[in-house]
Amino acid sequence: MKKKQLLMETNYDAIVVGTGVSGGWAAKELCEKGLKTLVLERGRMVKHIEDYPTMNDDPWDYKHGDVITNETRKTQGKQSRTGYTTTESRKHFFVNDLEHPYNETQRFDWMRGYHVGGRSLTWGRQSYRLTDFDFEANLKDGVAIDWPIRYKDMAPWYNYVEGYIGVSGQNVGLPQFPDGNYLKPMELTCVEDHLQAAISKNYQDRLLTIGRTAIITEGTKPGLGRMSCQYRSRCMRGCPFGAYFSSNSSTLPAAEKTGNMTLRPHSIVTEVIYDAEKKRASGVRIIDSETNEVYEFNAKVIFLCASAVASTSILMQSKSEYFPNGMGNASDQLGRNIMDHHLGVGASATTDDFQDKYYTGRRNNGIYIPRFRNIGGETDQKDFLRGYGYQGGGSRSQSWTSKVAEMGYGAEFKNEVLKPGDWSIGLGGFGEVLPYEDNRMTLNYDKLDKWGLPTVTFDASIKENEHNMRKDMQQQAVEMLESAGFKNVRGYDGGYALGLGIHEMGTARMGHDPKTSVLNKHNQVHEVPNVFVTDGSAMTSAGNVNPSLTYMAMTARAANYAVEELKKMNL
Amino acid sequence: MDRRKALKNIGSGFGAIAVTPTVVSLFQSCQTAPSYTLAYFSSNDFEKIRQLMELIIPSTDIPGALELKLPEFADGYIAAVWDAERQEQFASGWSAFLTASSEISGKEVDQMTTADWDQVLSKFLKAGNEISDSEKDAATFAGQLRSITVSAFKTSEFIGENVLAYAPVPGEQRGCVDLMEATGGKAWSL
Repeated sequence: MKKKQLLMETNYDAIVVGTGVSGGWAAKELCEKGLKTLVLERGRMVKHIEDYPTMNDDPWDYKHGDVITNETRKTQGKQSRTGYTTTESRKHFFVNDLEHPYNETQRFDWMRGYHVGGRSLTWGRQSYRLTDFDFEANLKDGVAIDWPIRYKDMAPWYNYVEGYIGVSGQNVGLPQFPDGNYLKPMELTCVEDHLQAAISKNYQDRLLTIGRTAIITEGTKPGLGRMSCQYRSRCMRGCPFGAYFSSNSSTLPAAEKTGNMTLRPHSIVTEVIYDAEKKRASGVRIIDSETNEVYEFNAKVIFLCASAVASTSILMQSKSEYFPNGMGNASDQLGRNIMDHHLGVGASATTDDFQDKYYTGRRNNGIYIPRFRNIGGETDQKDFLRGYGYQGGGSRSQSWTSKVAEMGYGAEFKNEVLKPGDWSIGLGGFGEVLPYEDNRMTLNYDKLDKWGLPTVTFDASIKENEHNMRKDMQQQAVEMLESAGFKNVRGYDGGYALGLGIHEMGTARMGHDPKTSVLNKHNQVHEVPNVFVTDGSAMTSAGNVNPSLTYMAMTARAANYAVEELKKMNL
Repeated sequence: MDRRKALKNIGSGFGAIAVTPTVVSLFQSCQTAPSYTLAYFSSNDFEKIRQLMELIIPSTDIPGALELKLPEFADGYIAAVWDAERQEQFASGWSAFLTASSEISGKEVDQMTTADWDQVLSKFLKAGNEISDSEKDAATFAGQLRSITVSAFKTSEFIGENVLAYAPVPGEQRGCVDLMEATGGKAWSL
């Protein structure tokens, strides 16, 4: 076994680059359909359960609690920008910024982890479908280019993925928020129940529902002993129950089980190799991140699933006389149109009610208010295109009440802080960012990383449409909370830089026309049809919902197509 | 202001400090926790912080600030978690608090007794007292010290596992339940 690496084959049916939500799905689908598949991951190995060192820790297991320390900020300054990604229990799943630098012409928050499983270990797990309001939006608005697919192309794959990974949620029958294949919903808290009723009473155009999250709430799912959530709310550290979906607990074990997968960590893919005679990619070149040795692996089909920025970088680095500006970049669209979801705006409030009520279990899920703007008729807005949804939740703070403040300090105060505090509720908007050609990433060959590879430079920002939308996001949140009778309603806009949503996407978009897009409707690079890109790069527009479910469905769809095409000898 | 360096110098002159009751209690505490090395506070300031924190979270049938080593937690936390700007703000708040305390008690701060510190906290943390403009920074500091004390209290292992309602593996989720049935009226610790 020790010599496995040395004896590693160099010829495969398929190569998958990356092991996050997309790479895991590509690995599973391709292996299960009988392809000998090499799965390359630039980071270290993370084995399910075995490599979740913090999964059972309490806050007092850390010297200063589960917080971000000054020591951490020295090496993970950018990764700390969210305020939650690099606490003591999570920091090992995010990169060292000193080892993995990038450049910001304008601030761009690029949060990522280099290890097997990628961000599938740390993702927010919210799982929503795009709709034809999204797939038709660019065409209807005359923005950028049309998506080459519609909801009917994706619906069966959404069904398939949801059924396999396990998504809990509630069907509510809204056309802009399609029903899905859900496990039983988690429960709303008392204040959320109250807000739900108030919104339904006060508004015709909107409703509140429980978040749809990739967490098992009943029964089991395939993988490594995946079972129902125990409500510990320690998801981002890796779940010993496999209750939330990750590549490590679900898709990679499924691929492994077929005997067709070879997983190679520490493998930084530097380029896709092009065979001009066959007009196909012949394989990939990698650097072993530990030994710095260079290897080449060949395959009939290549899936780039390294996440938007990384997959786009690999294509950009794949230069040849045939592709002087990077593979698949005849359109000059590679690296452009970078999008995210803008957030950090909304409202919060408190209530004196429900003092005798509480909750049990720590629900790592929130509430959701689906998009209600620009879906026709009276919902259409003058000031901005597209829409937004709200995520949030109502809970009981750990200690602070007006009573506590009154007592000030001392013995009575001490007893009071051991009781639950007041209920509070918050709504935070997640808004669509439009694709702008000049919002882009480029490669800087003057500033190389420790493997001699170019570093990424971001130059992108949100613009008038997003700024106008943010005003509405704040105002509507305030109005909903006020009309529901909450106290201390406070609107906020904490500002936002692209990337903070950790949904970076759109840098190798799909389209009908090779002159204006990088990928076709099957996620194939127009000029090199045996290279598929099925992560966030492919997004032609952002929609306003969390995108990972779409990446998974898109990957399963493309993998299925790739195998059919291989059988027909078309690739 | 290089407060840390200034504080170190004070510490090096420790032997010259008159043996007041507070210093005696500091020696006693040093005997119980000989291994703790201060990271943020000077030993002189720390002795006052200890008294203040024990006033905020006193020993009752449940251990108080000193027994739970909350001052040590706070000292380490401020040094390891707060950035330089916040540390400096806190330091200047502390200076303002000491000045105000001296005025309220009519004593040098090193001569103040627990009863004197109690009087100061009562002024700044009990509701309904008038705070003059010159006392605002001192009052803000008192609030910050209370916050960090409460946060240290609730992050302590003993409180988290034995006093608050501790359920590391709840197993089920219910959104809206009776408080008394759920935890007997206590807050969840996690």
